[in-house]
Amino acid sequence: MSAGKTALATLAATVVLVGAAAAVLRARDRGYYIPEPTERLLYLRSGSTANRVFLSFDAMAADIYWIRSIQNYGRDRTSDRADRFQLLYPLLDLTTTLDPYFNIAYRFGAILLAVEEPQGPGRPDLAIKLLLKGIEKNPRWQYPYDIGFVHYWYTNDYQEAARWFERAAAMPGAPEWIRPLAAITMASGGDRQSARRMLNELLSSTEQYIRQTAQRDLLKLDAVDTIDRLNAVLAEFNQKNGRYPTDLDELVRARVLTSVPVDPTGEPFAYDPITHAIGLSPTSKIGALPKKMNSR
Amino acid sequence: MIGRIGLVAWHVFKESVRDRVLYGIAGFAVLLVAASILVGQLTAGEDIKIIKDLGLATIELAGVLMTVFIGVGLVSREIERRSIFALLAKPLPRWEFIVGKYVGLVLTIFVNVAAMTAALYLMLAYMSWGALEVERRAWAAPATDPRLLIAVALIAAELALLTAVALFFSTFSSSALLSVALTVGLFIAGLLSHDLQHFGDIVEVPHAVATFVAAIGWSLPAFSAFSDVKNLIVQGQPVAGGYVAMTLLYAAIYSTAAIAAAVGIFSRREFK
Amino acid sequence: MSAVARVDRLTKDFRVGFWRPRPHRALDALSFEIPAGGVFGLLGPNGAGKSTTLKLLLDLLRPTSGRAELLGKPSGDVQARQRLGFLPENPTFYDQLTAEELLTYFAGLFGYRGEDRRRRAAAALDQVGLNGADRKRPLRQYSKGMVQRVGIAQAIVNDPELVILDEPMSGLDPLGRREVRELIIRLRDEGRTVLFSSHILSDAETLCSGVGILAKGQLVAQGTLAELTRGGAGGAEVVVSDLPPSVADALARRVARVTRIADGRYSIEVAGAARPEPLIAELAAAGATLVSVAPLRTTLEDVFMSALSKAKERADGAERSRGAGPERSRGAS
Repeated sequence: MSAGKTALATLAATVVLVGAAAAVLRARDRGYYIPEPTERLLYLRSGSTANRVFLSFDAMAADIYWIRSIQNYGRDRTSDRADRFQLLYPLLDLTTTLDPYFNIAYRFGAILLAVEEPQGPGRPDLAIKLLLKGIEKNPRWQYPYDIGFVHYWYTNDYQEAARWFERAAAMPGAPEWIRPLAAITMASGGDRQSARRMLNELLSSTEQYIRQTAQRDLLKLDAVDTIDRLNAVLAEFNQKNGRYPTDLDELVRARVLTSVPVDPTGEPFAYDPITHAIGLSPTSKIGALPKKMNSR
Repeated sequence: MIGRIGLVAWHVFKESVRDRVLYGIAGFAVLLVAASILVGQLTAGEDIKIIKDLGLATIELAGVLMTVFIGVGLVSREIERRSIFALLAKPLPRWEFIVGKYVGLVLTIFVNVAAMTAALYLMLAYMSWGALEVERRAWAAPATDPRLLIAVALIAAELALLTAVALFFSTFSSSALLSVALTVGLFIAGLLSHDLQHFGDIVEVPHAVATFVAAIGWSLPAFSAFSDVKNLIVQGQPVAGGYVAMTLLYAAIYSTAAIAAAVGIFSRREFK
Repeated sequence: MSAVARVDRLTKDFRVGFWRPRPHRALDALSFEIPAGGVFGLLGPNGAGKSTTLKLLLDLLRPTSGRAELLGKPSGDVQARQRLGFLPENPTFYDQLTAEELLTYFAGLFGYRGEDRRRRAAAALDQVGLNGADRKRPLRQYSKGMVQRVGIAQAIVNDPELVILDEPMSGLDPLGRREVRELIIRLRDEGRTVLFSSHILSDAETLCSGVGILAKGQLVAQGTLAELTRGGAGGAEVVVSDLPPSVADALARRVARVTRIADGRYSIEVAGAARPEPLIAELAAAGATLVSVAPLRTTLEDVFMSALSKAKERADGAERSRGAGPERSRGAS
């Protein structure tokens, strides 16, 4: 074979082989899950050891651990193993020990910890623990505000939430809308308008997962709004006809609704003719709807 | 064909062995002895694990150094010293020359790795012999755990891949320093390839950019892929055979790709 | 008789310069054939393109245009090298190996195995006069002459039809040069074809049956020695001693050249058709003693110089008609 033809053939072979190798590697990573070794963090559990190990490269190490935290969340989110999300808190703890001023590690980390199953670990307690650490190391209005939000949205403890909003409002730099938020929450518990307000703040975050979570949560609020309207329609129907409809199609046939109602993701709502309760279809992807939340 | 490749390989092995193996082994042994003295200061129960960790790390590091420094000169030195003229005037096809060089160096590296592994096992056996029964039961895995060989096999595969990369750079770069820099650079890039592959998950960029960066990440030789299970092995946890097999397969395929590229470049090379 | 090597309009350009590489023509449409048997010398000054030509024959370089053929096959054919031996210029091999190991290694590359391989390696080393003890010492301990001998040994270990030697005498002392010359003659007598390159023209005169003279990438003269040095001025050289200086001075006006070698000893050249006999008688009558009489032959150097000047004229003429200045020769030989 002439030199020119040899070169061409080997070039083609190289490209094909690199592609084949990448395919093998991808298949391996997809097919086998290697747990990120906890022991790797062993020597660094204690913050002081970590600081000693990394010397002056703390901040860079914190960046690396922050990236690992996000990766860990992203990977565990789609996994179905029993021990998923186990490492998220230790990673975030380590990140914030290495760099106590790492703002978004506290704030976004807390949200990720609080996200309910199956999209997250569902650990608002750990989220609050992380934020308390932030308050201790680096008091800023954002951290108590975030604790308030976690109580508001995830534990539904509106009294606690209101208390934390108060604290946040008292700190320097807090925006003016937090004080009225605290007052309203204290007076009447959770409501959708305030929730929407807080979720919209999260929508403008720089972190993709946080935005996704906030978007999903806003859809939940839309869903409960829709359910409320549907309940009103049902009540009207009952008043007019003395009974509740057998199914939602009847409402469409009776020209009360123009079409079968669907939730924000496009799934039709589920209607129980016996209890005349409206809820999400079991196949809906919105997830659990917030309870105890007043409409407004 | 096999005969000629074997001759070139054997010659590479002879040349390398006369130079470096003994120093490599001696150095490793010294390192281990020093480490074991240090270990006495640390908490009991962890010492076996630390020796295993340190031992595997030393084997890997020594292997990488050997591979880079011998590998980058494999072809370029012959060209520099012009000993290649007499060789290429023989009925030796150029591709056989390259493959022979590769096989010879891989053989050298493997012999070294085997020697260092034997030394490690001896050390571990000594530790085991000197320890109390109660201490031994506390270990997560036996001292002379044969499963360490899995980790060594993965290291050997990693080094075989690195050899192919070093050989590739040796075929076209005229300066040894440049070859070393390129090889080490690609090695480091390969260690980071996992992060590049998942670039889009971490950094907010347009989809096209994320795909492009991920493509680069998948195309780089993934040197990070060989140590993921090291900790599992040292802790005595089970490792899927399929996982190891696929990793070795990856190394084999990618090494072939690098050798093919080296053959391609070398076949077009002219020698003034 | 078939040709063992042939080049046909062989041209090689190199790109010279880093920032704006310009092509430098090292070989310009070279064409010649080397018949089997005999010794062929590729001659010319440094930078003429001799090594380039040899490398093109061996596929160490690739032609820009034209062809090179070795032993009837294109230069890239690997199998043809089974019957070829090559000694590079200023060879280096592998410092750690001994001569024996090197020869055995190379013999193995030709396909010899076992006892046959050992025998051939030993025979090649015998032929170049490297004895037992030396064979087992690593090459880094060898003198230049010994390395050259090892180089020749590895060029003949496969009993080749064609042996190519690139500047085989370079850097050797007179003893070494004589050994190489004798070896070349021996190879020729064994029926092989020898092709060697040299910038020392006198080497060729004693050895070659055919020569090609290169200058600046062009073949300026080619043929057998007899063909090239035929003709010329003719004449004779008479060397006498005990010649009185006055007689010598008087002679100087009548003959082509008178050169004083030492006190009383002169070399007198008579030109062209003139016979030396009358002059000898005259010198004897003047009291001089005859030392030697020999016909003046054109040397290869003369051939070379005249061919070179003719080529230069051609080149200058061509340059003038193209409107550019004459090109200065650079690059490797």
